[in-house]
Amino acid sequence: MGNIVVIGPRRSGKTTYLAALSYLPALRSRKGKESNFKIQPLNDESRDLAENAENIIVEGANFEPTTVNAGGVDGLPYYSFQLQVKKGLLKKPENIQINVRDYPGEVFEKIADRNLSDEIHQEFIDECLMNDVNGCLILFTQWEYGTDKFYYRVMSQFIKLMDEKNRKNNLKLAVAMSKCERGELWAGRIDPETDLFEIHLPRTKTILKDSINPKNLRFYALSTFGVLHKNDPRPNRIDQAGSNSSESVLREPNSWQPYNLIDPLYWLSK
Amino acid sequence: MGVIYIGDRIAGKTHLALELANPQGNYVKVIHPDYQHLKSLLYDHNLHSTKPTEADKSFYDQYLNINVQLPTGNKEINSYWLDTGGEIWRKYWQEENKAKWQEFLNTIRQSEGILLILPPYRQLVTNHPNPEEFITQKQWCNRFQRWVNFFKYDCPKIRHLLLCLNKADLFCNVQEESNLLGYIPNRSHFNWQQRNEYIYQRYFTPIHPHIKELNQSISGLSVRFFITSIYNRNLLELPWIYLGSFLSK
Repeated sequence: MGNIVVIGPRRSGKTTYLAALSYLPALRSRKGKESNFKIQPLNDESRDLAENAENIIVEGANFEPTTVNAGGVDGLPYYSFQLQVKKGLLKKPENIQINVRDYPGEVFEKIADRNLSDEIHQEFIDECLMNDVNGCLILFTQWEYGTDKFYYRVMSQFIKLMDEKNRKNNLKLAVAMSKCERGELWAGRIDPETDLFEIHLPRTKTILKDSINPKNLRFYALSTFGVLHKNDPRPNRIDQAGSNSSESVLREPNSWQPYNLIDPLYWLSK
Repeated sequence: MGVIYIGDRIAGKTHLALELANPQGNYVKVIHPDYQHLKSLLYDHNLHSTKPTEADKSFYDQYLNINVQLPTGNKEINSYWLDTGGEIWRKYWQEENKAKWQEFLNTIRQSEGILLILPPYRQLVTNHPNPEEFITQKQWCNRFQRWVNFFKYDCPKIRHLLLCLNKADLFCNVQEESNLLGYIPNRSHFNWQQRNEYIYQRYFTPIHPHIKELNQSISGLSVRFFITSIYNRNLLELPWIYLGSFLSK
């Protein structure tokens, strides 16, 4: 059983990632594909999320941002999945339970603001760094000039908090660049540490490498929407004008093939 | 919480809500209250139209239980339908009825979805004997700027704002548009992104700068565009099907 938290700034695609994860069984069966893993939603919230993936993502709309309501952190969606992984023909399948809390981006962004103390932010930090949390999947999405500095500040502070809570040496971090279907990023997906983080987020990468035990740190590239086809690497997404910046929706539901959703979770839960 | 209809006087809010309850629905059914009951409350048979919403009440508070057929099956929206009188948007009304205005603001700030019903403007209207009855495009844009200011300053936390350009039968061939835009679970001609883009580009051009301002001012807001008409069921249902994907429990 692994408690994993998925965190990241606003619009990094956390809810969409989790929705795609819950919808993977339906997506696989639609395509008649065999795979070496199975994922099964276990609670009502993760089953609802799978339905929302069909009603919202497949229908060309996008999720609303997650927000904190009156219930505080306890009121946030809590998803539970069973992941079954079969590595090698003769090996027995491994069953892993994953519990994930979906946090709003703004509480993650507040990590950078050291002077800021509010109850929700404190609850968020406490829950993220609790002893029974195996690991964090951190989704980053921006890579344009200036964002490296911001992510660096967030990560420096996060590492300090890990240290204060005695989690620096025993909390695994899977650091992922999300939405890698973007043309500029897709080519770097094979070796994200070198071709995405080293190039676009060098300071963020350095602070992580310098502070976290190498066995607890890995870099990933993932894409919830994927590309149109293996021979047609155009992003399977459309950007439409929306609040603050553009909002992305799935372009061709019939070609929906997410990239690398499972690997980071599998590694974190081990 | 809930969904609220707002708009200027005679934009057609009450009639839209009443027709939604018409049992001849496709994918949206109002389970409660009953159409006949609503009609007896809201419709004036002598005038052959809905009664104007009484300004002194500020809004009608009516429980609505709606069933929406989505790709994954039927979903229910338990909602409050709050039908506002157009009068309440006038400054003098707000000043003379401070407590009621405050009560309304409290309600709208807690609403999950807002349907803003807009009338067509004069230059758009083609199927009416007297287009002069409608405000000009310039006035329409100015009026919309006031809506932008209202959302920006009075309810900066809204999430779903659905702009419904109503009385579509007066400015387009509703049958053609409904064939293109209509919703059929799992086999619609357009998806939500395509519908939104089509309507936004075709019918909302004069207020593109205002929409941009709205998007830049309110974080996390999703503005979506619709054309509606009481004479076309597909178009009438679309905003509710869209909301159903997000608000159904």
